[in-house]
Amino acid sequence: MSKIKYWHETLAVAQRILIELIRRQRSLILWAIFPLSILIINGLLIAERTQVSMAQAFENVAPSTIVGAALFFSCLGGTVATVVAEREQQTLKRLFLSPLSGTSYFLGIFLAHSCIGVGQTLLVYTVAAFWGAKFQGSLVLGGSIIFLSIISYVGFGFILSTQLARRTEDVNSLVAAFGVPLLILGGAFFPTSFFPKILLKVARFNPIYHMNEALVGVSANGDDLAKIELHFWFLCGFAVLVVGGGWLAYRRMLSMERRL
Amino acid sequence: MLRIENLKKSYGKRLVLQDLTLHIPFGDIYGLLGSNGAGKTTTINILCNLLQPDSGLIKINDQLISEQTKSLIGVAPQENLLYKTLTCAENLDFFAQIYGLPKKERREQVQACLEAVNLTDRAKSPVETLSGGMQRRLNIAVAIVHHPKLVILDEPTTGLDIEARYEIWELIRTLKSQGITILLTTHLLEEAERLCQRIGILKNGSILAEGSLAELRQNIPAQEIIVVQTPEEEKAIARAQEYGFIHRHYGNDLAFWLPQHLELKEIVSRFEGIPLDSIARQPVRLEHIYLEVTQDKKLPEPAKPNP
Repeated sequence: MSKIKYWHETLAVAQRILIELIRRQRSLILWAIFPLSILIINGLLIAERTQVSMAQAFENVAPSTIVGAALFFSCLGGTVATVVAEREQQTLKRLFLSPLSGTSYFLGIFLAHSCIGVGQTLLVYTVAAFWGAKFQGSLVLGGSIIFLSIISYVGFGFILSTQLARRTEDVNSLVAAFGVPLLILGGAFFPTSFFPKILLKVARFNPIYHMNEALVGVSANGDDLAKIELHFWFLCGFAVLVVGGGWLAYRRMLSMERRL
Repeated sequence: MLRIENLKKSYGKRLVLQDLTLHIPFGDIYGLLGSNGAGKTTTINILCNLLQPDSGLIKINDQLISEQTKSLIGVAPQENLLYKTLTCAENLDFFAQIYGLPKKERREQVQACLEAVNLTDRAKSPVETLSGGMQRRLNIAVAIVHHPKLVILDEPTTGLDIEARYEIWELIRTLKSQGITILLTTHLLEEAERLCQRIGILKNGSILAEGSLAELRQNIPAQEIIVVQTPEEEKAIARAQEYGFIHRHYGNDLAFWLPQHLELKEIVSRFEGIPLDSIARQPVRLEHIYLEVTQDKKLPEPAKPNP
């Protein structure tokens, strides 16, 4: 019975977020334009500068575009925007009045952003396929990396939105301050093979680097789990850490804001 | 329906509720009055299980307050806490889903709520396109979408124009006629006077006076109140005391409580020799009772009235 309750609540939250997004349209369009433009620009650049075929260039660029340009902004930025908008409109207070559980709320946000993430993934790979790119490795492993990336971004989004962002204006500055350097350092815009050694050492502490390396390995090179083991387990650990952190941050916000 | 016994709550050293006790029978509208900081919102927070009391007992429908009793309560907060980009129907459907209503019942209940708040024709309009009054009505509809036993309306007409206010009052009466018990907090005493069967006046976290309007009127030993405008207030007061009239200042108005009904000429004759610019007669209203109770005035020993 309680499992059904959680499922219904999760579905309700996810559905509501998606309806709001569809109604606004602008975010959805931007979330499509941004990764596609990054994909095409980077694809053409890499093909030209590294003298590889278009197919190879797009095979290498598509995974970075997904975990960096696509999922980062939709799943992390989207989660922050969702929670902050709820705090700002105070609809979160109305949710506190209802029997909605915190777990369902988190899962609802995760589910909504997973739908968007999957949509973006399909879009990016469809466009990459237009230049002849193919997904080389295991779909299950690739899907798991994307799933872990989404969950990490949503968890991290929970931490940022409950602890650091109070107003919608804070979202942009937060994403810019934390996001852009992490993306560049994660290899989302330039391949990590371009990095000097010192930056590579720093990049190893960046979860986006591991998402990127793992997905590039599976998607472009057909690597199995053994070859991307380090990146994969780092990503698993990071996902657990940020979901735990997100949960604690959410509980802390509850203790402060659970009042009319 | 709702029983609160000896409820205590403090924030640090500040005591917000002290031995708050009130009972609301099934199907009544109970008005909880009090100035800002009197403890109304804290009481609502505790009822909704958002805050834990220090001590005391609360039962809704004979159940102790808990996460499970949340579904017995519907709350319409002061602000319209709605999703602005969603339509009226989508807002109602979302909250109905959160409260676990099955799909078929949800569809029926959304329609019923829209009809109850007279928004059927705006079912597909996004909330951001509605007027303030419509949003407030939808705010109340969201509070009743899950068939609650008790509905808490927190200042439901604050900031609304008079037409919208009448609409909300009509809606509240409709809810009562459907057997819903209502706890209404308001600063508008006229609202409480018009709608509530019982009224509690809250100050510093405890109920100072409680009862029906007729019962509360016992706090003022007067049949009627007259408001007098005169350049010689002192003389008028002294004269009134000779007849056993208690005087009060309501803002700039000088008022006298008449212990029994008097004809106008009899009133004028009592003030003979004192220039009167005007005399206005008023029934004893809730605002007089409220001021009397909250300002903690000691009733003066009335002088023996002159025959």
